[in-house]
Amino acid sequence: MTRLRRVRRWGPGLLLLTPSIILIAVFVYGLIGWNIKVSLSDWRTSVKSTHYAGFAAYKDLNSDPVWWSYNMRHLAVFTVAFIVGTLIVGWTLAFLLDKGVRGEGFFRAVYLFPMAISFIAAGIVWRWLMNPAPGDRTSGLNAIFDKLGLHALENQWYLGQNWGMAAMAMPAVWALSGYIMALFLAGFRGVPEELREAARMDGASEYRVYRHVVFPHLRPVTLSALIILGHISIKVFDLIVAIGGKQVITMVPAVYMWINIYDAHDYAKGAAIATLLLLGISILIVPYLIFTVRSERNA
Amino acid sequence: MSSLSQTPPIVAPVPRLRRRARSAPLARYALLLLFAVIVLIPVYVLVVTSFKGVLETDASHAWSLPHLWTTEAWSQAWTQLSPNLGNSFKLVIPATVISVVLGALNGFVLSKWKFPGADIVFTLFLFGMFIPYQAVMIPLTTLLEDVHFPAGIPRLAFAHIVYGIPITALIFRNYYATIPNDLMEAARMDRAGMLRTFWSVVLPISMPAFVVAAIWQFTSIWNDFLFAVFIITDPAKWPVTVALNNTTGSLVTPYNLQMSAALLASLPTLIVYVLLGRYFMRGLMAGALKG
Amino acid sequence: MADIVLDDIYKRYPNGFEAVKGLSLEIADGELLVLVGPSGCGKTTALRMVAGLEDITSGDLFIGGHRVNDVLERDRDIAMVFQNYALYPHMTVAQNIAFSLKLAKAPKHEIRARVRETAELLGLENLLDRRPKQLSGGQRQRVAMGRAIIRKPRVFLMDEPLSNLDAQLRVQMRGEIEALQKRLGVTTVYVTHDQVEALTMGDRIAVLRDGVLQQVGTPADVYDNPANLFVAGFIGSPPMNLAHATVENGSVRLGETTLPAPPWLKAERVIVGVRPEDLHQARNGGPALQAQVDRVESVGASLLVHFPVDARDAKSRALAAATGGPVLEAVPLTGGEGTSAFTATFEPRSMIRAGERVSVGVDPERLHFFDPDTEQTLRP
Repeated sequence: MTRLRRVRRWGPGLLLLTPSIILIAVFVYGLIGWNIKVSLSDWRTSVKSTHYAGFAAYKDLNSDPVWWSYNMRHLAVFTVAFIVGTLIVGWTLAFLLDKGVRGEGFFRAVYLFPMAISFIAAGIVWRWLMNPAPGDRTSGLNAIFDKLGLHALENQWYLGQNWGMAAMAMPAVWALSGYIMALFLAGFRGVPEELREAARMDGASEYRVYRHVVFPHLRPVTLSALIILGHISIKVFDLIVAIGGKQVITMVPAVYMWINIYDAHDYAKGAAIATLLLLGISILIVPYLIFTVRSERNA
Repeated sequence: MSSLSQTPPIVAPVPRLRRRARSAPLARYALLLLFAVIVLIPVYVLVVTSFKGVLETDASHAWSLPHLWTTEAWSQAWTQLSPNLGNSFKLVIPATVISVVLGALNGFVLSKWKFPGADIVFTLFLFGMFIPYQAVMIPLTTLLEDVHFPAGIPRLAFAHIVYGIPITALIFRNYYATIPNDLMEAARMDRAGMLRTFWSVVLPISMPAFVVAAIWQFTSIWNDFLFAVFIITDPAKWPVTVALNNTTGSLVTPYNLQMSAALLASLPTLIVYVLLGRYFMRGLMAGALKG
Repeated sequence: MADIVLDDIYKRYPNGFEAVKGLSLEIADGELLVLVGPSGCGKTTALRMVAGLEDITSGDLFIGGHRVNDVLERDRDIAMVFQNYALYPHMTVAQNIAFSLKLAKAPKHEIRARVRETAELLGLENLLDRRPKQLSGGQRQRVAMGRAIIRKPRVFLMDEPLSNLDAQLRVQMRGEIEALQKRLGVTTVYVTHDQVEALTMGDRIAVLRDGVLQQVGTPADVYDNPANLFVAGFIGSPPMNLAHATVENGSVRLGETTLPAPPWLKAERVIVGVRPEDLHQARNGGPALQAQVDRVESVGASLLVHFPVDARDAKSRALAAATGGPVLEAVPLTGGEGTSAFTATFEPRSMIRAGERVSVGVDPERLHFFDPDTEQTLRP
């Protein structure tokens, strides 16, 4: 009897949520399942085919010259440059703003505004800025270095053979630093002022206060930031397409998947790439989600 | 998908933690200004180039202000992109409204009217926010085709609503978590049912969350590229972001048109940001820790 | 109008924790019963079970003769006043109060009339258009009461409604709430951790500890005849003095002092309790404790004189239990282990100062005796 009463209490909630539950079940988990199934099929042409083919598509991918030497290497370089760059800039901005400055609102607004711009629009500008044309046709950032006499800094930017993808990370750093700044700033300010004051009363220098009181507080925030940036990096698509189009020299998995499906009609291979992307993200996100929900429960 | 859509914001109506504004050492101001300038360089380029005539867009005048200010690039951009702008508006406004309302209802149930397993369901929702959407693009388009979902913008709107469920639920759930539970209990004792409680007690105090969710969704959906490029096959129906990339963003287009088009396409989200950004920032700052 | 019966009520949580154990209480129609005890004693849980906000794990709950275990809170015809008031922030005072009537689809003129009536009863007539954030704590508290009263329920439940108010206001509101309850005659269950509040307000009080009912009775009852060591130490401020003592040959040996023992007392080891107000400056001979005063506190109407007695302390155990903390040895400032800190109330004009020697008169009739092992009160 009491069970019925309990159901009467939470039943309506479940009912209200049901449409969303169904939608997510179908469009997230159902489609992921479908995707995995396709990746294991023999659908390699524009003619649909659904026979089980095991890991053939994955093996193809593994032996695809473009996969490891371009896609994965590019992704690795991009990811490192992006994460390191964004963390450093975001952290620095937060650190500078932490104690409060006049016009803080203005600065915050400036640093955050790139989040309002699409990667496509940003890509257009940054493509111009990173124009690799030499000599007479130098423009973009190279032109500035030229005028300032910093010839050594002029380079091929995103078309660079080995480190082009690090240059590609610049617009991404530009776009996301504001968000990371917001994360860190909230983290800095989440340290109760009393803690800092107590440390100062105990004779700690400002440097020590930061090192022993504030920074330890920032560990969870840094972890959040790492996870979020990592997952963005793995998924990066718009930006690469806007700047590098479909060129091999800027190829990343997300774009390669698009090419395989739309140009090559190799659905299984495309699905395999997508599945691998999903796997990569899951490794980052699943522990993070579990950790977040658990700590919420304990709080 | 813009960078925005991939970063989880949280809203909480906590007082803003703002330090007393003091005169900071010169070095700090200098650094902050330096960073501000660097961040704004692309804006300078965008604005300046968009007002140049074609003749001035060559390399030698790369950084200088226009000799002759002209709006020809702007009118060209407008001609090319205005139908797409229309498409974008037709897409973004209904999708944002529906998505946000859905998020409010979902967030409410998941935080204040929980059923057994609600937290697990929420976590499963959240995971949907992190998946690479590439992974579901093929089956999505196939499925929508198979059920004869109205093609074009409606399909895209539907996709954004569905994949917006996790983030909007997150925003509202985190916001509603700050409402004291005894408020819900008081309503229960006053004999209010679930919907009545939502309508009369919770909704009226949801404004901050609505603002954050609406700005978020507006910006994400407007700036999205991936979904649109997969789902909309008819170029006439492209939202402005896709059109930007495919027509005016190409390398053969003169720079002034590229820049003016990029600016034009970004104008609505920039306006939203300028007008409502402070509310958005408040939300980000207040609860960003829980990201 | 209804009576409430709790019959062997248990509240067990999924992790095994039992907040309420075997609680049985009968609350008469129109009575104001106070549930009192230290934090975590289960009083709020018990209240919420009566409200229907918590499920009852086992046992039966009857309101007005009907078993209501499975009745939803909204159908129990109960109104509750929450500790933090839980006022709807975006509604005016009038709207807050009227909300339940509006939901019941009462006609507008009736709502207006009843809101007016309720507001007048609580002195809120001029605040009807304000929002909660514009009100003071005391005003908010009254709005919360108004919201409950307007429904004319058969039961009021109050969860520490005064604990967020400052001391002065609390004293005033206590009287107001009590008067209101008498006037409306609605059965009321009132939860508080403040034992002074309990003593002044309740028709009867029920003392809880760790989910178990210790004693239920009128304030006078519970004060004069505590059922066990916990109740004795918890009820009464300043708390009862408690120390170990031995009984031999019809006398109680409390440290160096010998006091006559009641004839019915058979035990050899006891804990002796005596309230500070039953210890006075000794005159005219009679049994007395001799001591050097530790310190003196003036509380206006009397002087609290603290002095050591060289008997092993029993107060600390009871107090620790009351505050739920670890056992702290309340060792007095002078004297070492094996001494107890006693308090006596002297006349304010007695001019006693710390360090002076005093003679504290003890009335043997006013002694309480407890079994040191079971902590139960020893009676004839």
